[in-house]
Amino acid sequence: MKKTFAALSMLVVLSLLLSACGATQTVEVVKTVEVEKKVVETQEVIKTVEVEKKVIETQEVQVPAERSVVRLSGWASSPAETALLESLLYKFSVENPDIVVKYEPITGDYKQALLTAIASGTEPDIFYMDIFWWQELAKNEVLLPLDDLMAADGVKKEAFIPALIDAFTYDGKIYGIPKDFNTLGLFYNKELFDKAGLAYPTDDWTWEDLRAAAEKLTDLSDPNRPIYGLGVPPDPGRFPIFIFQNGGTVMNADFSDTTLDDAKAVEAAEFYTSFKKDGIGALPSDVGEGWQGTVFGKGQFAMVYEGGWLIPYLRDSFPNAQYGVVLPPAGPAGEGNLIFTVAWGVSANTKNPEAAWKVVNFLTNETSQKTVLESGFALPSRVSLKDSDYLKNNPAASAIFRGSLEGAKPFFWGAVGSDVNDQISKALERVYKENQAVADALKEAAEKIRAALKNQ
Amino acid sequence: MATTTQALPVRKRKGFKRAGEALTGYLFISPWLFIFFTFIAFSIVYAFYLSFTKYNLLRPPEWWGLEGYRRVLSDDLFIKKALPNTFKYVLIVVPIQTVLSLILAFAMDQQLRFRRFFRTIFYLPSVTSSVVISLIFVWLFAAQGVINQIFGLAVNWLDDVRTAFYVIMGMNIFTTSGTLMLIFLAGLQDISPSIYEAASIDGASKFQQLIYVTVPMLRPVIFFVVTVGVIGCFQVFDQIFVMTSGGPLDSTTTITYLIYKWAFRDTTIKMGQASSLAIILTLIILAVTILQRRIIEGSGSRTG
Repeated sequence: MKKTFAALSMLVVLSLLLSACGATQTVEVVKTVEVEKKVVETQEVIKTVEVEKKVIETQEVQVPAERSVVRLSGWASSPAETALLESLLYKFSVENPDIVVKYEPITGDYKQALLTAIASGTEPDIFYMDIFWWQELAKNEVLLPLDDLMAADGVKKEAFIPALIDAFTYDGKIYGIPKDFNTLGLFYNKELFDKAGLAYPTDDWTWEDLRAAAEKLTDLSDPNRPIYGLGVPPDPGRFPIFIFQNGGTVMNADFSDTTLDDAKAVEAAEFYTSFKKDGIGALPSDVGEGWQGTVFGKGQFAMVYEGGWLIPYLRDSFPNAQYGVVLPPAGPAGEGNLIFTVAWGVSANTKNPEAAWKVVNFLTNETSQKTVLESGFALPSRVSLKDSDYLKNNPAASAIFRGSLEGAKPFFWGAVGSDVNDQISKALERVYKENQAVADALKEAAEKIRAALKNQ
Repeated sequence: MATTTQALPVRKRKGFKRAGEALTGYLFISPWLFIFFTFIAFSIVYAFYLSFTKYNLLRPPEWWGLEGYRRVLSDDLFIKKALPNTFKYVLIVVPIQTVLSLILAFAMDQQLRFRRFFRTIFYLPSVTSSVVISLIFVWLFAAQGVINQIFGLAVNWLDDVRTAFYVIMGMNIFTTSGTLMLIFLAGLQDISPSIYEAASIDGASKFQQLIYVTVPMLRPVIFFVVTVGVIGCFQVFDQIFVMTSGGPLDSTTTITYLIYKWAFRDTTIKMGQASSLAIILTLIILAVTILQRRIIEGSGSRTG
């Protein structure tokens, strides 16, 4: 009796153990999606995919027995963007039946997930790298240099916009092929300009024009729905362009020191924060929002500095918004802009460097880049698409594209980038919320950044 | 002689039986033990090792000695913000939630109408995910949120250095009081009615009974509630992560949030330094728990 009981309990425990193992196996964080099976959601692309489908039916016989598998990861910013990437990968699999691409999108904190995957040696072969932190990967030798593979395929560095490809070059070697980019443009609300009787902004605007317009556009008569001229968030992804336009920089050339406490940066900050001080500009939190794009869509900020990502957002969330985009107004030292870009990087541990390169090359070739451009999600990194019909017919996208050509610097502050970002926004917040003098705020920020640099 | 030879096999059999029982016991808890060793014991030991290294996730950890600890203890954000913020949080939240839940438990112990209904209501926040409650509070306390509209205020609660931390404290008190109330309620119902009878025969008033009978009898429960509360408050993270990300101007940065920031958010990952801080936090919690055990159990008689 006792024995059978013991045996039974052993069985129970064993089954518990097994089920526990089973549970850990099913709780996979990364979704594995076989690309070939995916249906495309974007309407424009569907036609081309249907044509390709017929092709695959005739080619299916030729599928080789041995196929190399390449894993590819990126963050998933929107379902439509994911569908676009999947349709490109589908095309790739038709053209290259010997390579299987497994798309494993990462939701949540992408950088954290990627770094832990690298630490445990399970990273994908190909992955997105943001300009803001990719150099840490190159510095620690976890990336594959792409120069030889590029040369073997005849892909020239010059085919890409110089500011972009240079941004992904470290120690003379190219580690990433920029997949797309964004810059900041001045978005303006046409209705509010009409109401104030003002002419629309142009690419030739200066800081003075911006201030004068903000003054006239501000309308605080309705306390429940105040309208401000310009959005001036304490955002390290917006404010630095004013430093550039004033001839200053955020960091020195080799990122070993910050120049935030320079007179040029202080002047820029004084100009930027004067909008809020004088009541002709506001933070999104002043009107109860987290992002100024929403406030712009609601018509409570007449002008905002945002990137191309605002265009699809407005189309989806505020389809009736009448708006235009121009280059950011020039400052005393001329044009200045920030470049936000993401590249495809290849892991140094990949077992199939050639196959991985083939995928990267396909995703960044002219045809793919054109598809991406025409979908309206992002701007192409290839110079040759500068004169494409799409940009001619879409002035908003064109303004964002042209932003990269003059006075634009990558959104990158070196190894302590997150500290620099934190300190820029804190300095602005102290000015806004604690009425600290601008020069003192930036001095404090610079000191904290220097302490972080020393403690690297 | 004969007795010993007879006794031996019996003892042996007993020992064997006991070993067999122990084995069965271990087998029963083996799924839990497996999880404990892989996800808790191993992690703690590894974090202890990492706290003496420089580790950025991309290269293998590099022995660093006490450098990580030195950097933590000379870090401005830790000394001036995270450490005082964490203690402030514990000192405000723990007393309020303990007293509040004790009062709630007393109320729920009386013969009230709809007693079960109220118990459920008070306990409800504890069952809800803290992330969900955080999001609800973000909406409630938004610049144009419900609270401002009801009271006609224009305070930007979560974006104001003076209010953000208190909103988070209030939320934590709101969510944990239900659970603590339940624990107190169980403790209250454990107190034998005969003690109250004896007290009332001796002429003690209801209030005197509360102070001289109930509270001393609840001492072990109070110790448990305060300990759990202190440990939970020292480790507050998810609410801050969701509601303020340590801002505005670091006014809600606590030790655990700083650990997260160093370990995952910074451009150059500081896993070693973050582990050092985690070990320091463990030591702080340990010291505070021992101290409060002395205080609560030291004064008055030892019961339970």
